[in-house]
Amino acid sequence: MAAGLKTVILLSFVLAVGFLLIILSCALWANWLPLIVALLFVLAPLPNALFAHCGHDDLSSDYEGNPAVDLGRFITAFIVVTGFALPIVLAHSEVIKPTASLMSVVGGGLVYGTIMAYSQVFKQDSDEF
Amino acid sequence: MSLPRASYDPRRVFLLSCPSFNIKHKRTIGVYLAGGLFALAQWVFWDAAILSAHARPPVDAPHDTVPVHVSFLDWVPGICTTLGMLVVNLIDKDTLMGDVTDSRAMWRARLVLFLGFAFMAGGLAGSVVVLVLKYVLKEFEDKYSYYGYASVAQNVALMLSAVILWISQQSNNEYEYNLTL
Repeated sequence: MAAGLKTVILLSFVLAVGFLLIILSCALWANWLPLIVALLFVLAPLPNALFAHCGHDDLSSDYEGNPAVDLGRFITAFIVVTGFALPIVLAHSEVIKPTASLMSVVGGGLVYGTIMAYSQVFKQDSDEF
Repeated sequence: MSLPRASYDPRRVFLLSCPSFNIKHKRTIGVYLAGGLFALAQWVFWDAAILSAHARPPVDAPHDTVPVHVSFLDWVPGICTTLGMLVVNLIDKDTLMGDVTDSRAMWRARLVLFLGFAFMAGGLAGSVVVLVLKYVLKEFEDKYSYYGYASVAQNVALMLSAVILWISQQSNNEYEYNLTL
């Protein structure tokens, strides 16, 4: 219980640092385009989570190869790569500064990593029951 | 000599056997990889398009015009390849392999598959054509011919993505086939 609580506190701290980096990368140069990165990384696990429930019929209980699940994974991978590519592309065309791009990439990675780690911890908990 | 007998196979040619990569979640990894590669492909081209939209004349000659921009012509090969990839991956693989007794359905599936692959190959060839005719022959600077190379890279990556997606779905079928035997 205490270990789980510590994990939650650590993860929320990392999430806050990630959002801080993204918001700073916007606010320091008064250019709010990198904020899209935060939105993308928050939305990234959504297709996976939605389509995962399409996979479980009564007929195909354990069968992994479901096209709907595959589509969800494809879209998730697309959004994650988009989240990393967007700041780099914006920096390349000199819309935002390279430092801002670096900060939003690192912040986005922290946010997405937090979401992934949190779902992993939650999954282990639900397996125990 | 000191090799364990259990790993001996009379069909073997080489002394050291190639380690078999039995990855458990082959299909999952393949699908994630294909999605990432798809996004990478699109972003390489969108990078060129955004760069072109923000292109300014050089600082020492501010009254010159930018010689070339990414126009709709550059978008066409990528759109063709993406459409072809969509068509190829929407086909039901079981129909294609002849698991269905209806031979007309199989014939139609093969025709649609051929159209999809034709679209993809056409997109790749078209991007090379655009690169040569629009950028290389007119001898622009590297800054501008980058647009053409980005388009070719986009189409190659899209094809790779489609191949990875196809193989990862195929490998699972073989596994399932082995199980049923």
